Amino acid sequence: MFDHRISVMMGMFGSGKTELSLNLASYLKESCEAVALIDADVISPYFRSRDLVDLFADNDIDIIAPKGPLRTADLPIVPARVRGVIQSEDTIVVIDAGGNEYGAVVLSSISADIKSQESAVYFVVNPFRPFTDTVAKTVDHLVSLSKRARLTVNYLVNNANLGSETTEDDVLSGEQFLKEVSDETGIPVIMTCVMNGIEVLNNRFPVFQMKKYLKTPWEV
Amino acid sequence: MADKTMVKGNEAMAEAAIRAGCRLYFGYPITPQSEFTEYMAKRLPEVGGSFLQSESEVSAVNMVYGAACTGRRVLTSTSGPGFSLMQEGMSYIAGAELPSVFVNVVRGGPGLGDIQPAQSDYFQATKGGGHGDYHAVVLAPGTIQEAVELVHDAFDIADKYRTPVIILADGMLGQMMEPVVFGEFRNLESLSDHLSWSLTGAKNREPHKVTSFNIDPYELEKMNMRYQEKYKKIIANEILYETSNMEDADFALVGFGTMGRILGSVIRRAREEGIKVGLFRPVTLWPFPYDALREAVADKKFVLDVEMSTGQMIEDVRLAVGDSLPVHFYGRTGGVVPNPDEVLRVLKERIEEVK
Repeated sequence: MFDHRISVMMGMFGSGKTELSLNLASYLKESCEAVALIDADVISPYFRSRDLVDLFADNDIDIIAPKGPLRTADLPIVPARVRGVIQSEDTIVVIDAGGNEYGAVVLSSISADIKSQESAVYFVVNPFRPFTDTVAKTVDHLVSLSKRARLTVNYLVNNANLGSETTEDDVLSGEQFLKEVSDETGIPVIMTCVMNGIEVLNNRFPVFQMKKYLKTPWEV
Repeated sequence: MADKTMVKGNEAMAEAAIRAGCRLYFGYPITPQSEFTEYMAKRLPEVGGSFLQSESEVSAVNMVYGAACTGRRVLTSTSGPGFSLMQEGMSYIAGAELPSVFVNVVRGGPGLGDIQPAQSDYFQATKGGGHGDYHAVVLAPGTIQEAVELVHDAFDIADKYRTPVIILADGMLGQMMEPVVFGEFRNLESLSDHLSWSLTGAKNREPHKVTSFNIDPYELEKMNMRYQEKYKKIIANEILYETSNMEDADFALVGFGTMGRILGSVIRRAREEGIKVGLFRPVTLWPFPYDALREAVADKKFVLDVEMSTGQMIEDVRLAVGDSLPVHFYGRTGGVVPNPDEVLRVLKERIEEVK
């Protein structure tokens, strides 16, 4: 399912890009030698890929993010290493962008590098989030983020969820929603993300099982 | 789709304000609250409201002051440093007895501090961050669903008593996502009209005057005594708190806001090990539930108060409990959130001392 060297996660705030990026990097590590995750999210103050740097280093997955005190600074920093990693042909790369247009702006600054390599751009959608709760709004945001990032979206990702309260029906209604977005845009839906081991039958799209990495202090 | 929406705390409180009938928002973005301002910028124009990003929190609070004079529902949101800038205006608003709602999504302090979650603005919110003899009602939500409901309550309390109300949230509540059911939109016609005092244009009626001052000290004292009468009514009617696992408990944990959830986790782990411990969670921080806390812990061996600060609510806990039983404290500060394991370890250490 993920046969591109570089995978870019784009989407609105809280669509699930970071959980998907972390899970995808872990999944790719099972079959690939060198895996790097670029934390290009300069927007979110909490629940970021960079919070998992140490845990992922244990599994030899390189999370590229600002270091030291800059890790928790409220500053829009993209580390200089990012371009080198994107160019490095023996590294499998996942890019976790920030949400909304602000997140897409960061992608635009490295879009030429991304396009020069063998890459795919995923647009992650949770239809239970505000601002992507109708097909029309979702398509509008997809178009504007894509323009802002100067990247073409190759695949849609169904990440329909209500956190710990997600049911199979919620996931399936997300598939129907994403199919309508796909019909509207001509962009194929590549997969449905599922967390907490929810069993999904009668699914339309391939299922990607995820585990929760971004936890609140009382979930730890 | 389902009735539930997956929302960040900041977005949830903003949507709740709109559904509660708020059509006026003035604010200035600050982490970890910025999604609130951003959400209002997108949503208020859709519902015929007014959004204005001010040049600073000082002007935001004075815009709230002006807007509140019209008797319409108005809200601003901010975080620590911004809330400090608003204190002068808040004192004026309390003095002028204007209904208004403030949301402080607290981050590490003092000074610029950091952008991680904290509860160290408790003193500022509950003891009057501005000058003069005033109080604001302070509500502390523990879940995003509760935050949605307390935003509605905040506007109702503000209208009922003509007082500023503060929602004291922490960065964690602002930033995390949970599924939420929003209430119905309040019919704007059904809200308090405030026509007896609000500034709506004095054509064909006597002019109204809204002011926070009187240069005659005896008259100003009378105004102050009127505020105090109002505060007595608020204390009598509006106290909220929650208890869990208290009936058979030997020990009581006390915490507010999201700390209540960490303590919930501590209690589950402790009870698995046979330690009988319960939780008392104040929901109104002002008025503080002194009597309820005193009664709830009367038969316990000790109280352990846990905060994301070096100890602020502890002063009210001690006032409630007095010398009748030991009151211990554990806190982390500067944006560090205590995890359930470290709190459980502290709880066990205190239990060892009793044995």
